[in-house]
Amino acid sequence: MQENVINQSKDITILEILDRVLNKGVVITGDIVISVADIDLVYVGLKLLLTSVETMREKRLTIVKSNQETK
Amino acid sequence: MGGELIYVYCISDSPLRLDHVSEQESLKCLMLQGFYAIVKQVSPDEFSEENLKKNFADLPWIEIHARDHIRIIGEVMKNSTVIPFKFGTIFNSEESLGEFIQNYSGSLTENLKNIKGKEEWSVKIYCNRTLLNQQIVEISEDVRTLEQEILESMPGKAFLLKRKKVELIEKEVEKIMQICGQSCYDELVALSELTQINNLLPKELSERTDNMILNVSCFVNQGRVNELLSAIGELQKKYKNVGFDMAVAGPWPPFSFISIKEK
Repeated sequence: MQENVINQSKDITILEILDRVLNKGVVITGDIVISVADIDLVYVGLKLLLTSVETMREKRLTIVKSNQETK
Repeated sequence: MGGELIYVYCISDSPLRLDHVSEQESLKCLMLQGFYAIVKQVSPDEFSEENLKKNFADLPWIEIHARDHIRIIGEVMKNSTVIPFKFGTIFNSEESLGEFIQNYSGSLTENLKNIKGKEEWSVKIYCNRTLLNQQIVEISEDVRTLEQEILESMPGKAFLLKRKKVELIEKEVEKIMQICGQSCYDELVALSELTQINNLLPKELSERTDNMILNVSCFVNQGRVNELLSAIGELQKKYKNVGFDMAVAGPWPPFSFISIKEK
């Protein structure tokens, strides 16, 4: 039963991964530092990318619908 | 040519094995100041401050490297307690990493002690509000009572009561989500050493149609992980009728339960 509950890493979205590897309170910084602003940009990029995928999906649906209606 | 840089994945106070890590050819375990670090030599062409910044604007690049970061730490973690480093933590040289370790050694030891024998699991609760709305008559006595009153009322009064019913349903849905969500959270807290509530991930990024209502990281004693998982299975059954669904993932590197401070 447990196997059903656990979803292993291949199913984990990139958002969830980034949320962990970038955004947590691990204060460690190396010699080379990525600023918070740069990290924020990653999220903006991710959002834009996924939103455009979503928009495309919606558009496709609309097209399918209108095709069906004209038939 | 500025020489190679050191990309750090994780650190521990005991020797770390790499033999069971897949695609480990480029990785190595450094011993510095009594600590062991899993590192990779990387090129400034990709990881200098300027180039790293450029690459951070390249989502496919980030995805490959972030997934690799988690995978490698996860595989090392199977046999050892490790402090995971943030993705993209780069040092100029082994000496520089050694200095860092020396400065933070007290905190590193303290953190390793805190995370030993525990695992980080993420638990997310989603609610399908449409389903909950459909079930509300069965769940809420107040809604049932009001429905009965509507049936027994003259048309004018029934009209007003129907408007009241819309408001009442909304209120009841919120209340039930609150109560059931809290009850799930209380159970997670009881089974965990520590919990951390995380931001809700936006719906458009979650690839799901229902709404995330709770996002928790649980820090659990290894001996209680099975108990946690079966409790979640039970909660899932118990609250299915209110439209709840729960997603569990883990064990994660303990990113949420680490705090490194300079001595």
